[in-house]
Amino acid sequence: MKYIPKYLYTLIMCAAILSSCVDKQDFDQLDNLNVTPTAEASILYVETPERIINQVSGTNFYSQTFNFDAFSEEFFADNVLDGVVTYEVENTTSKPLDITFEFLDDAGNSLDSENFTVNAAPTAILRREIAYGPAGRSLDIIRNTSAIRVSATNLGDNTSVSTLPNPTVYLRSSAKFRIGLK
Amino acid sequence: MIRSLVLFITLIAGYMTIHAQNKEVLYDFIEIPQALMVNPGMNTIYNWYAGVPLISGIYVQGATSGLTVNDIFAADGLDINQKVRDRALNSLSKRDEVNGIFQVDILNGGFRGQKDPANFFSFGMYVEGYALNYWPKDLAILAYEGNADRLGQRFDLNDLNTSGQFINVLHFGINRQIKNNLTLGARIKLYSGIVDFNSTNNSGYFETTVGQNNLLRNTLVSDMRLRSSGLDALLDANDNGGGIGSLLTKRGLFGGDPGLGFDVGVTYNLNKQTVITGSLLDIGLLYHTSDVTNYTLEGSASIEGVEIILPDALSDPNADFWEDLVNEIEELIPFEENSKNYVTFRPIKFYSSIRYNFGKQGEPTAACDCDNQTDSGDRSLYYLNSVGGQLYAINRPRGPQFAVTAFYQRRFAKVLALKATYTVDKFTASNIGLGMSLQAGPVNLYIMGDNLLAYGNIADGNYASFQLGLNIISWERN
Repeated sequence: MKYIPKYLYTLIMCAAILSSCVDKQDFDQLDNLNVTPTAEASILYVETPERIINQVSGTNFYSQTFNFDAFSEEFFADNVLDGVVTYEVENTTSKPLDITFEFLDDAGNSLDSENFTVNAAPTAILRREIAYGPAGRSLDIIRNTSAIRVSATNLGDNTSVSTLPNPTVYLRSSAKFRIGLK
Repeated sequence: MIRSLVLFITLIAGYMTIHAQNKEVLYDFIEIPQALMVNPGMNTIYNWYAGVPLISGIYVQGATSGLTVNDIFAADGLDINQKVRDRALNSLSKRDEVNGIFQVDILNGGFRGQKDPANFFSFGMYVEGYALNYWPKDLAILAYEGNADRLGQRFDLNDLNTSGQFINVLHFGINRQIKNNLTLGARIKLYSGIVDFNSTNNSGYFETTVGQNNLLRNTLVSDMRLRSSGLDALLDANDNGGGIGSLLTKRGLFGGDPGLGFDVGVTYNLNKQTVITGSLLDIGLLYHTSDVTNYTLEGSASIEGVEIILPDALSDPNADFWEDLVNEIEELIPFEENSKNYVTFRPIKFYSSIRYNFGKQGEPTAACDCDNQTDSGDRSLYYLNSVGGQLYAINRPRGPQFAVTAFYQRRFAKVLALKATYTVDKFTASNIGLGMSLQAGPVNLYIMGDNLLAYGNIADGNYASFQLGLNIISWERN
């Protein structure tokens, strides 16, 4: 009887250690884990003062192609799920303008374009969101884009000057894309 | 049971981190020689002891705070994405951590001085590995949800705080009974670093705000570094399909990173029945000089995409604005690699205890002559019971951590000593541990476990440790 507590104690300890158990765990759940962060950043900003527009003869006062590899980076192109490109055009010049924003592939082919016609100032800021992915345009446009072309046409004259301070046309853009990390 | 054991081992090995490392059951368990390792000033009651090589001291421990394996992987029918969101992303803080450690004695022995029996010497060698990772809260949110629709929210780069170390330790200690009621001890440790990595003391942030020109502005301010030694060689050996064993042996036997450390400890008998103890362990550092690879990301930059401002942008018709932007960012926040030597400090650990002995049993439980103990020293062995409290602290990257323990120890004749503990720390407030020292002739076997209540469903436990060892002990004085 003297050593009953000893044996009881030993029994408890051994039982605790040796009979340790675990509720049913399902590590296959990892297969269902979706890590899909949404990243957003600006893409392109173009600022053109009215005096530049007036200096250029003809109506197409600006057209330039920019190398843009962010979308075609392997990691992004392989994992992008869907997203939105947001454009914003602000015109404080005295001229109505026509602005085209194009996504180009490696060969310079136009994959997608977005056209904006804005009235002369005073006019509201034009904002447009274009979806890509299952609920929008093809993601292949984004995946294959390696350059952006911006073209701007002056639909007015080359002499008028806006009464607003520092008359300028601004093109702003950003992208918000969901990326499938897992 | 096999599944439980596999999971247990997986938990320990997978998390392989150590810093918690509170050996509250072993501490001041004077029947076990390995208790000297947590208090070199412990009262020693043996003439000599020899640990059985490789199995004299095996210790594994794993700990998580705020989250358990069961929280995420329980087969409860809930969506794992929702569980991760609710129980990790939205619940854990940057102070939550996962850590684990293993420690294996290669050799361990001790002997009493021939000329002066008040001295007891101990020596040995052990390997130790740990890994520690604090929950990188902001970075986890950034990785899981991204920066979209989070204007003005700063993602703190300081949340990345991780470290790990695998070392071999050669040690020699001396323990001396200074006075009848006072025993002091000290140990010198020679470290040989095998593998080390750490990324601590990072600072900076990532933030998205409304742009000054464009729609959005992304800002990165970074002062981050990852330092490692021995890691590249290990990975290379692994890739080449062999040589890992010889590499570890070479680096472990002082072919790695050198280091030096000390332990000190004290035991003081307030009276015949009351004993206080204290120890400071691993006051030391390692100097990492071999196979060092460091990565840094330092600088700051704010970008709003490709910016074309006319007429300046027309000056170079061949300009590649995208490449210019990428190059500018790389100049402002260079990601660099270097091989500068560095120093790491060992996590200093502090133990203290007060113990009250009662239930006198008339003679020492151990069959020793024990002159010193007879005069004074630690008379614990004359008592059937001990009860007391312990305080533990460890220096951690995000500040010290503490644990408070209450214990009860019971001795049964000469063969068995048992100790039960109840510990409260950051990992759990229901940590019940049990330890047993069994003496069969000269053979001493000890086994101890921690947080036993969690063993009912170990996957739902925040903390677990396990320790066992086998020694040959001579209680007879020469």
